[in-house]
Amino acid sequence: MGILLSKLAVIKHSLALILVLILGMGSVYAVDKHAINVPAPKGEECVEDAKWMRVNHFKTVLNHRDDTVIRGIRTEKHSLKNCIDCHITPNKTGDYARYSNSEEHFCASCHTTAAVSIDCFSCHADRPEHVIRAARQQSQLEALKKNSVHVSATELILNTPQP
Amino acid sequence: MNEMNKKYALLSKSDDNASQAVDQGKRTFIGGLVGASGLAVAPGVMLYQTAAAKPLEQAVSNAVRWGMLVNVNQCAEDCDDCVTACNDEHGLWPEEGSTTDSQWIRKLTVKDPSTGNAKSLPMMCQHCENPPCVDVCPTGASFKREDGIVLVNMHTCIGCRYCMMACPYKARSFVHETLENQLPDSPRGKGCVESCNMCVNKIDAGDNTTACAEACSKAGHEAITFGDLNDPESDISTQLKAHGGNQIRADLGLNTGVRYQGL
Ligand code: SF4
Ligand code: SF4
Repeated sequence: MGILLSKLAVIKHSLALILVLILGMGSVYAVDKHAINVPAPKGEECVEDAKWMRVNHFKTVLNHRDDTVIRGIRTEKHSLKNCIDCHITPNKTGDYARYSNSEEHFCASCHTTAAVSIDCFSCHADRPEHVIRAARQQSQLEALKKNSVHVSATELILNTPQP
Repeated sequence: MNEMNKKYALLSKSDDNASQAVDQGKRTFIGGLVGASGLAVAPGVMLYQTAAAKPLEQAVSNAVRWGMLVNVNQCAEDCDDCVTACNDEHGLWPEEGSTTDSQWIRKLTVKDPSTGNAKSLPMMCQHCENPPCVDVCPTGASFKREDGIVLVNMHTCIGCRYCMMACPYKARSFVHETLENQLPDSPRGKGCVESCNMCVNKIDAGDNTTACAEACSKAGHEAITFGDLNDPESDISTQLKAHGGNQIRADLGLNTGVRYQGL
């Protein structure tokens, strides 16, 4: 029994050691990637301690989300919009990375490395507003060229003959 | 279009009890205490409600009730600047290759079948005081903010579309397709229901107007007035007091925040 216990303890310890090693490698890797590909943020320092933010940013964003949607509180400090405005800056070629670009988008770079799949950006803007408006103008021009026609959902329903 | 006319001809018929007071109970209550502009919560502490910008960190309160008044006689039939402005403000842009898109505001022509008299008007979420869309929502995602604005909390919307069925004004749209290029102030996405949010982003920023009202003024029609229905001094309240304002389908007793003149 005693032998079994001590064997278990050894396994436990070595597992812990391996875990520490993996985590350590992971963080080095993340920092490395970050330093190479993600453009520097606009501001001098983060609205909270950067280390604390790395671990807790989702809590602040989550709290702020409900405050804003339900109670109409619009402080900038913990708003996702503010994060994006500061962190999403042009890369070397002057482009703003989309969330789908895990090499250059600030949020995506870390989420991808840490294997976090979070769904913020299927609804929320992943770039500052002026970039999106410019992109919109561009695609509008292209659509004009193609002369595509759009029909609203309501119109579709109203104009479909009822059985 | 004629299909639509027929469907909405119904809407203009029920003006009889339309002059239902806006939050009458509350106004009397507040008025009885300290006059309509301030409410004492403790000695020396007053809760003031003005149309002025609220501080960003302050939660909205029911001291105000936002509303809009549409003067149908000033709404031009061939104009849809309000619709364009709304789409642009909230990024309701058709996606490449999409066959459906959302409408938060639309132009309607309503016709009185007995006289043939037709009017053109904008129709959007009426921001009901007793919103059926909120009643039916199984998750609480469809909700009314303290200041009377009815919203969908898209974080909890499951896309069941009960609210769309419940709304007498067909004010809500469902997002059927994947979206790109949403704007920071109007997050929206596939699988959620959405509708006019009375430009909640602009109101919270203290703009004191909505995109549609702004665009209408800019076009020179001045058909839409935005303001605080609880403040008897506000532009919208004085106009309502002087000329009245109808609710569309007032018979439903929803006490809408959007009122119409000239129907
Ligand atoms: S108009 Fe429709 S969507 Fe708007 S509050 Fe009333 S029931 Fe809800
Ligand atoms: S579609 Fe969303 S907002 Fe509408 S009733 Fe269902 S859960 Fe509520």
